[in-house]
Amino acid sequence: MIAKPLKWSHHNLFGKPFDVLLSLTVIPAVIWMAFEALRWALTVAQWDIIPRSIRVLMIGIFPADQAWRAWTAALIITALLGAGLGCVFALRRHHGLVLALCALACLAAGFVRDPVAVGFAMAGLALFGGTWFASSHSTVARRLVLPGAAVGLIAIFAVIAPPGVGLWGGLLLSILLTLVTSIVSLPIGILLAFGRRSRFSSVRWICTAYIEVMRSVPLILVIYWIWIIMPVLTPQLSIADVARGMIGFTIFYSAYVAEYVRSGLQAVPRGQVEAARSLGMAEFDINRSIVLPQALRVVVPALVGNVLDIFNAAPLVFIIGLTDFLRAGQMILANPEYSNRTYEVYAFLFLTYFLIGSVITFVARKLEAHLARGSR
Amino acid sequence: MALEQANAGVARSDAASIVARRRRNRVKYQATQLAIVVVAIALVLLLGMLVNSGLAQRGINFTFTFLWNSAGFDISEGKTVVFDQSIGPRLTDFTADLNLAQAFVAGLFNTLKVAILGIVLSTVLGTLFGVGRLSTNWVVRNLCFWVVEFVRNTPLLIQIVFWYFAVVLQFPAIASAAKFHGVIISQQGLYLPTLTWQGAGDAVALVLLTACVVAIVGTIFDRGRARWLCCAVAVVVFALMLGKGTIAVDFPMASKFKASGGTSISPEMAALLLGIVFNSASYIAEIVRGAIDTLPKGQWEAAAALGLSRRDIVNDIILPQVFRVVLPSFGNQYISLTKNTALGIAIGYPDLFNIYGTVANQTGHSLEGIIIVMLAYLVISWIISAIVGAIDHRLNAVGAAR
Repeated sequence: MIAKPLKWSHHNLFGKPFDVLLSLTVIPAVIWMAFEALRWALTVAQWDIIPRSIRVLMIGIFPADQAWRAWTAALIITALLGAGLGCVFALRRHHGLVLALCALACLAAGFVRDPVAVGFAMAGLALFGGTWFASSHSTVARRLVLPGAAVGLIAIFAVIAPPGVGLWGGLLLSILLTLVTSIVSLPIGILLAFGRRSRFSSVRWICTAYIEVMRSVPLILVIYWIWIIMPVLTPQLSIADVARGMIGFTIFYSAYVAEYVRSGLQAVPRGQVEAARSLGMAEFDINRSIVLPQALRVVVPALVGNVLDIFNAAPLVFIIGLTDFLRAGQMILANPEYSNRTYEVYAFLFLTYFLIGSVITFVARKLEAHLARGSR
Repeated sequence: MALEQANAGVARSDAASIVARRRRNRVKYQATQLAIVVVAIALVLLLGMLVNSGLAQRGINFTFTFLWNSAGFDISEGKTVVFDQSIGPRLTDFTADLNLAQAFVAGLFNTLKVAILGIVLSTVLGTLFGVGRLSTNWVVRNLCFWVVEFVRNTPLLIQIVFWYFAVVLQFPAIASAAKFHGVIISQQGLYLPTLTWQGAGDAVALVLLTACVVAIVGTIFDRGRARWLCCAVAVVVFALMLGKGTIAVDFPMASKFKASGGTSISPEMAALLLGIVFNSASYIAEIVRGAIDTLPKGQWEAAAALGLSRRDIVNDIILPQVFRVVLPSFGNQYISLTKNTALGIAIGYPDLFNIYGTVANQTGHSLEGIIIVMLAYLVISWIISAIVGAIDHRLNAVGAAR
């Protein structure tokens, strides 16, 4: 009975003198820290601030009576995510089980407080599972994903724009910014990547210069500068801060996408291009239907990692006065009534960011393993 | 005969047409090339003129002469270059009556200060984390994994802001600060004791200093028995210098509201450095772990078969090979670390970008400012990649066949 744990600990904790020393110093420290953290979380911390300010954290200063718009946008986003996921992973039974468990947890957690929220959350989960199922089992649905994504994006903007673009905030703003930037920067990045290996040396030069300059200046500088310079360029149009932020993000991250795509383009064997050329295909057709699909397939994990980078950079919009998730938390702490809740708010922010980031990383890793298996 | 002639004729005309086609293609290529260049230059000029006229409408002309205007604002820390009667330039604290160019220099100084410290510290910490992730000790392995995972999956900005508002600013005030062995940790900053040189103009002191430096160099670079000798000599000479008073320790002294003496690190810099070091260390740990994982398993097994201990294997077999592989990735990480110092603006650290923001707000010369700041970041990036490239070249030239 006891032999197995003993053997395990001998192997993994007390194998050598140095390991013994490490274990004896690290284990008590970890236990002490975990104990202190738990004691704080369960006895000292006053968590009531989170439910009281959850609306500000999620949608910023978006008017409360328009919250259904934000919910609808969230529903569309979950549907899009599900459909996108289905193109890569088929929905299996255990995935469905996890989704059902999530739904149950939602029900248990929120039923007493806010039936509307629970309803929307359930609908979101159902949509997510539904679109995932559809796109993983039907080629027709898969073909509809790209046009669907375009329609969905327009629908999202149509739904949440009316109260005023300047009101977007909180986690909603972070997610929208990530979504728009990652989608718009993809085609631009692909064009730049092709431009970097163009026949014309001038195009090569311009694209290389653009990519290298963007990759060696800080993002915050680009956002700030675009924000300053746009009104100077177009004095008659007044472009919203959010739009200027998105343009800055797109300009910056296109360069990164271009580098990822270029690494994919290099991974396509030369023989593929030569074979297509000997079949008499036009250069454009070769790139579009032979090179690009194979290149993109290789870099999908890196591009998903790039989405995480964009999401993690989203708080930088504070520099142009937007209220994203982090800024919303700081706004709550700026209220003198809550100034002693620093740790509670930061713990919540950290956990949310970590949860979303972990999901994206997990998907990227799964994709990498999936693609590696496919090409073997 | 007639057939042959006819064939030759066809061949000749074919060759002629191919030459003509080639020439046509070349002309077309050059024309397209020219057109692209012209269009690109025209676009850039148009953009520049639009921006220029837009700024001119607001009464701001494109000129760099504003750099010689007096700044009129103060910068909380950082040195700048001053040219005065003394021989050559010297470094002094920035004051409001210096000009804007000197303000930019102070900002650059602050950026470089954090960047260099950050690069050194994060390389050490990151390598420790990376090796820790492959430790034979289960607790250490998992601890390193979760720390790295947590840091990589949360935004850098929230980490910096957290270090500043939730850690550094929660330290006790200086009157009740924690003090041990001359180190003072307080809300107003960190104070560390420093060594000061008192032996100016003393020949014996100079000899001692030289001996100490030589001994330290020997300790670092000698790999044989002489290392211990060098180490002992260094310690003895150092003790001698301390005893003779040629080197004195300058302990920071805390009064009621501030501390003086020693080296001080402002709370902003401490928080920025902590945030950046932990963040970059996590990425470096991931790079190191990846590189160790891709090393052939035979390296470990061969070393173990020779009877080397695990620590010797890691130090002498694995890490030297790993550093050769990871250097380019380290270079990229160093560049992004340097770029990340611009986030100091969120906690009020006066780095280059922060100074640019102040200057652009005050004078409106955002276009000229952006050119200066962009060039500064570009040059820093180039320098880092040049240094890393040079080291990489050297290592791979000397290194054995891989």
